[in-house]
Amino acid sequence: MSQRQLHLNLFIYPGGHHEAGWRYKGSDPQRVLDIGYYQDLARKAEAAKFDALFLADGPALADNIRYASRFRLEPLTTITALAAATGRIGLIATASTTYSEPYNLARLFASVDHISGGRVGWNIVTTGAAQAAQNFGLDAHPVHADRYGRAHEFLEVVTKLWDSWQDEALVIDPDSGIFADDARIHPIDHAGPHFRVRGPLNIPRSPQGRPVYVQAGSSEDGRHFAALHAEAIFTAHQTLASAQEFYADIKARARGVGRDPDHIKVLPGISPYIGSTTAEAQALHDEFNALTQPAYSLDVLKRMTGLDLTGHDLDAPFPRHLVAPDPDRAEASRFKLVLDIVDREKPTIRQLLHRIAGARGHWVSVGTPEKIADDIQTWFENGAADGFNVMPPWLHGGFDAFVEHVLPILRRRGLFRDEYRGRTLRDHFGLPRPGSLYDHAERRSA
Amino acid sequence: MPQPRRQIKLGAFLMATGHHVAAWRHPEAQADAGINIAHYRRLVETAEKARFDLVFVADSPAGWPRAKEPEAQQRSSQGAHFEPLTLWSALSQVTSHIGFVATASTTYEDPYLLARRFASLDHLSGGRAAWNVVTTGADVSHNFSIAGYPAHADRYARAEEFVDLVLDLWDSHEDGAFPRDKDSGIFVDLDKVHLLNHKGAHFSVRGPLNVPRPVQGHPVVVQAGASEPGRRLAARTAEMIFTANQTLEDARAFYADVKGRLAAHGRRPEDLLIAPGIFPVLGGTEAEARRNHEEIQNLIHPAIAWEILRRHYQGRDLSGYSLDDKAPPLPEGTELNKSRLTLVSDLVARGNLTLRQLYLAVAGARGHREVVGTPEQVADAMQEWFQGGAADAFNIMPPVLPGGLDDFVAEVVPILRRRGLFREEYEGPTLRENLGLARPENRFAARRRVSAAE
Repeated sequence: MSQRQLHLNLFIYPGGHHEAGWRYKGSDPQRVLDIGYYQDLARKAEAAKFDALFLADGPALADNIRYASRFRLEPLTTITALAAATGRIGLIATASTTYSEPYNLARLFASVDHISGGRVGWNIVTTGAAQAAQNFGLDAHPVHADRYGRAHEFLEVVTKLWDSWQDEALVIDPDSGIFADDARIHPIDHAGPHFRVRGPLNIPRSPQGRPVYVQAGSSEDGRHFAALHAEAIFTAHQTLASAQEFYADIKARARGVGRDPDHIKVLPGISPYIGSTTAEAQALHDEFNALTQPAYSLDVLKRMTGLDLTGHDLDAPFPRHLVAPDPDRAEASRFKLVLDIVDREKPTIRQLLHRIAGARGHWVSVGTPEKIADDIQTWFENGAADGFNVMPPWLHGGFDAFVEHVLPILRRRGLFRDEYRGRTLRDHFGLPRPGSLYDHAERRSA
Repeated sequence: MPQPRRQIKLGAFLMATGHHVAAWRHPEAQADAGINIAHYRRLVETAEKARFDLVFVADSPAGWPRAKEPEAQQRSSQGAHFEPLTLWSALSQVTSHIGFVATASTTYEDPYLLARRFASLDHLSGGRAAWNVVTTGADVSHNFSIAGYPAHADRYARAEEFVDLVLDLWDSHEDGAFPRDKDSGIFVDLDKVHLLNHKGAHFSVRGPLNVPRPVQGHPVVVQAGASEPGRRLAARTAEMIFTANQTLEDARAFYADVKGRLAAHGRRPEDLLIAPGIFPVLGGTEAEARRNHEEIQNLIHPAIAWEILRRHYQGRDLSGYSLDDKAPPLPEGTELNKSRLTLVSDLVARGNLTLRQLYLAVAGARGHREVVGTPEQVADAMQEWFQGGAADAFNIMPPVLPGGLDDFVAEVVPILRRRGLFREEYEGPTLRENLGLARPENRFAARRRVSAAE
């Protein structure tokens, strides 16, 4: 099968992606801290031959916890536990460049890559949530540009650390007593504006060389960062046109910095509401929206737009004129996305809240399995996506429905694999295994 | 009703290829152990089958200290191993009762991130996590963008604040904070969620944690420093101390000293377990055990021997010495591992050692107690300390892995059982239950209870 194939990740939000998903009759919120709940999902996704599981994260508890499931297990420990329960599926964990130490983060990911046999991806974020700063001794969240400045250097440091052991550095010859070849283990001696790190790392190079670099910000800074570093991008788009613009832009930027555009996979989010008829799917979507709680939804909207609409008539038109332009909004790309919905659809406040409730601004597709498969195929074949982050509204049922009803259609159309062809996440994504930055240095000195 | 008999708690201190510095060269070692998950899985399963309380890993956030000599550097198997939290997260999924102690540094970690990872491990394992608190007795500041190595006192000042902060974060949600009531739409009971708003000399942290209260209330707090500041920290916060003692007399003094400090903090002697390390070299006869010991000692390459000596002499030029010269006195002060310096200095003073005897004495257990003998002799040695006011538990440090653990389990554990000194079955599914430690009351709930009673 040489036809271009979709890449599919299961994006797990503990209570499901709909903000009221945990209240839906089929959901199981009592299990969101039970690792068995995630193991079951991981095994289902692996049986469905998904590329990877994807876990979001932020190092702070959101303020709006009363009405929604905002707690989660820590992602690195979780994916390692899931690695022990699976054998093939990729495992992508989010971690922040703003609030981590590069040496500690590099160790954690290298360790999981070894434990999982090369199945790890790092979703690189600069952390959009301002509350995090106050858990790390900072009075204010660093501004967007500063966060990205640190992120670029952070990437440089961890890449050097992952490469600091060349692949052949471990010798392990008991007779001669030589354990490792010192000439192939390199201090990185990094000194920059944000970090001074000597290295080397204290773990040999991992099966994938480096974890897969995933990125999830679509602002100007985010796009620039992605073009330089990312191997997969998780992105939010409401329309085909918006996704096409993003896709073309990223691939062009990649070419511009001398990278193969095929080595950056663009993966928009999609949250599917599946019914056997259009009316049934719509009724399902309505049922979820009826479970939303305005106090919560208004808070989400406030985070995205800066606008507190508490006390407004929810059935009045959204007051577009009250939104102040703010280039440094914490979730910059999401800010623009919400305003685009407003300008395009002229919704009431309540309609806008419902539009966002499904998946925080990600694409919600409501319909029959054929309709959802058509949507996926359209984006995939028209320069908008290399695959998708599938975001079930609730768990596990929302994922079961996708696997049972949509996946077989995609397979019949030859769009998605029947079997894994490789063992590592790089294999699944069709990404090359990078050599070490120090391969050249070693050859030169030899 | 008769008191349940006091029994030894057992930890398996796992160090990749084994504790002996040349272990990886031994024919029975798994030479690539540091990154071999199947190897660790086998070890942990062995320990669980034997009903050990816990498995334990040391850690330092750096590669091996850069040896001056590449000859030594390339012969060392240290500094090539899994990160502890991820290792234990994976192995918690293939076990059901054994506890997992991971070492993590208060000097080079961040309290919020550390609290989350350990809370998460406690949930993942169903209440089997423990944190071995260290200030990191080696200078690895070069990996952390900080100017120079913090002095011993500064490290402990930071550690005091760090541990309190982590304990508060673990308690930032009370038990039962999550009604998750679909009908009312209330997921969280906000009265049971607490901000810290901590502002101290080293940290300011708002909280709350974004992981609910751990299964055990909080992971068991283990501590592994025996200096004066280390003892102070342990007396106030630790539930188990991992310690190195060479003689029964020293171990007794340490035990009495630390237990004696507890009352001042409103704690009972049984709230803190003392666990010396023990490095057993077994043989069918005493002579065979000695031969086994010699066999592995002979695997130490001279380059490694000199590297060990240079480290203990803190870089002093030893080029005028031969290995058969009498060991000169060790330097007097250090900002690194203070208690270990004292221990090795005592060893030199007590034994009138040559440099060869000195490196051979520390190459195996790095200052921990070595017992070379038959299974009965090892069991006797443990019993003597356990019943002699010197130990509540032992951290078993097999010279070579996996064989050293297999042998201990097959030969020593049955003797301890026959003597009624070690359990037949686990007391419960959490580490606290097996160690006999109470589940701590939530700090915020306790404060509220106190203020309500006033």
